[in-house]
Amino acid sequence: MSATGIEQLPEWLRAGLEPGGAGEHRLAVDAGQFAAAVDELRAAQARFITLFTAQTPRPALSAVFALQGELLLLQAPLEAGGVPGLGELADRWPAIAWAERELLEREPHSGGEHPLTGQRLTAPDPDLIEHEVAGLDVFAIPYGPVRSGVFEAIQFLIETGGEDVMRVHTRPFFKHRGMEARFAGLAPDVGVHVAERVAGIASVAYACAFSHAVERALGVEPPRQAQRWRAIHCELERMACHLDVIAKEAETTALYVGQARFQILKESVQRLRVRLSGSRFGRGVVVPGGVRGEAGLSTGELINAIDAIERELQRDRRLFLKTSSMTDRLIGTGRLERRLVERHCAVGPLARGSGLSTDARHERPYDDYRRLGLRVVTMREGDAMARINVRFGELFESLRLIRQLAGHLGRGARDLSVPLPKRGSGTACGWAEAPQGELLFWVELHEGLVHRVHIASPSLRNWALFDHAFPRDVLTDFVFIEHSFGLTPAGADR
Amino acid sequence: MLEWIYRGLGKRRITTRYPRVPEPAPEGFHGRIDVVSGEPVPPALAELCPTGAIAVDNAGSVSLDRGRCILCGECVRALPQVFAFASVYESAAGSRQALLTGPGADQASAEPGRGALADQAAMLRRSIHVRHIDCGSDGAEEWEITALWNPYYDIQRLGFFLTNSPRHADVLLVTGPVTDPMRAPLERTWEVMPQPKALVAVGTDACGGGLHDWGGVDRILPVDVYVPGSPPAPIAIMHGLLLAAGILTAGQVMA
Repeated sequence: MSATGIEQLPEWLRAGLEPGGAGEHRLAVDAGQFAAAVDELRAAQARFITLFTAQTPRPALSAVFALQGELLLLQAPLEAGGVPGLGELADRWPAIAWAERELLEREPHSGGEHPLTGQRLTAPDPDLIEHEVAGLDVFAIPYGPVRSGVFEAIQFLIETGGEDVMRVHTRPFFKHRGMEARFAGLAPDVGVHVAERVAGIASVAYACAFSHAVERALGVEPPRQAQRWRAIHCELERMACHLDVIAKEAETTALYVGQARFQILKESVQRLRVRLSGSRFGRGVVVPGGVRGEAGLSTGELINAIDAIERELQRDRRLFLKTSSMTDRLIGTGRLERRLVERHCAVGPLARGSGLSTDARHERPYDDYRRLGLRVVTMREGDAMARINVRFGELFESLRLIRQLAGHLGRGARDLSVPLPKRGSGTACGWAEAPQGELLFWVELHEGLVHRVHIASPSLRNWALFDHAFPRDVLTDFVFIEHSFGLTPAGADR
Repeated sequence: MLEWIYRGLGKRRITTRYPRVPEPAPEGFHGRIDVVSGEPVPPALAELCPTGAIAVDNAGSVSLDRGRCILCGECVRALPQVFAFASVYESAAGSRQALLTGPGADQASAEPGRGALADQAAMLRRSIHVRHIDCGSDGAEEWEITALWNPYYDIQRLGFFLTNSPRHADVLLVTGPVTDPMRAPLERTWEVMPQPKALVAVGTDACGGGLHDWGGVDRILPVDVYVPGSPPAPIAIMHGLLLAAGILTAGQVMA
């Protein structure tokens, strides 16, 4: 693998490079150098992923970055005095804001004194509303956590003068369930059940990212056949999520036949997943070391089902795109400039809609994506329409990949999993491209059991950008923009 | 727009006729886990379950709590002669006790459901307004509730309508085990709903906590119908709603 990105870094930073596994480099620095190292990485155009504290092999403030196809784990020892500069990292780089706030809230000892330390992230402060209003004739509407319709709990504080949206403050964490702590003490093959229930609509991606981390920590490679099945389940999950977003956009325009058509397609995907896994959400398939069970469906039946979905989808997409009452609401709505998306290190269809070609399946391919020749779909416009068009493009790409994978299922050995070493220890990052964007797990294993898990969800990272998605938009655009983001509070809150 | 209408009309009927006609779950669907053997088992068996849903009493009788069971299948893989996945949708029950199954479960003390809505709402049976509140689900339950209004399930044909105001709601669907920040919004939503009203806990997390030890919705508000599942399928939720409205009764076999 090329290390051009790492070679750009200054000598003092490269001196801390530890030998790591393929695609994951560890950089050790002194606590006093942590903030300077973050600055250097930003200058080298790295993409910030997450900030957390690791406990193994010793307590360390850790930050993960993507740098030209490589993953970089920056670590500084956590000492009694805390890490200088922690609490002000977000001032240097806005992408770090949520991760830093969360860290200071959950583990105040690591940061020393900082005004945010005492703020209750997980129990939003009702007094906040009065303090946020911008001026005379401007009022704030708190929208949520109880939503209209069937939506997950999250709150948006919308500042408006009546029609124009002036500012939006996203307030997640109403659903914080302590999922990361729930992994502690579980064997990896039991921990995967917890991973599947962090964000239910992306169960397969979460199970994959967790399993990848465990496999990398223990030096295990799942069999080819298992890697193919994982990719098939990941693509079906992506299709269900994208169809859900498109159906919701149609519902918001009161395009009811369109809504029904995309709901029917989504339901056919869910029913296909039952035949493949017994679960409408593909649960119980992915397990560290491979996959469980063979599908109750022949390759021919799978390909026929995929062909039928594709035929219907082609017609429905054509109709959707030529219905001007639909596209008028999306074109130019919630425009995100490429530079803003880069600065906030956003991921997934949202980033690809603003011209960034970031996709974990392509940047650091895993499982069978290493052999598939993925076409990354991007649009330049950056508006809600571009984000929907990226999803349409990815739906057809998923269908193509599943067909290709299904064709390979019969080849070679049919083993579905390899055993994990008993009482194995280690630490590693694992990742997957969830339908919402790049998802990363940090996993620490002690003698065969999960000791600690940290999850960098695409939803939390992308939501930081939601506050900026209303440059010229009005209140009635709100729901279109929210759906075009396609995020899940369960993943963000954990 | 005309093309959409032709597109909509050009398809055969796909809507289920449930509950008038039974809707069997597809073969291999992991609807719930049943205890299939009455044989005594060793007490250490309870350790199999990562969420503590399995209990074994002194006589070796096993019971499974569907209010904690997340359908992970650890028990099915370890002891297929005792536990088995069942391709069944209808698992909803009128009391927490009735979610316990197996020879060790004390079914005798299971109370009949509160039936608050069913008793008083005979005249409402053709128009029941449903409100949903998320109290910490994993997001999958919301998908399955939304699916009730898609053309496959079309619950409006049975007179169930989604409402955006708790003031108009007859039934409250609650998902998730109720996190601290959602407790007050949940209580307030329930308080402003007019009588008679029913509360349906949707999903194992809402029924008994599931993965989480702190319990389900019934530690805060009285629950009329429990719909276990991780997540429950749309027909399972429909079954729960029909129980809440008194259109079906628990254990009734559809013919």
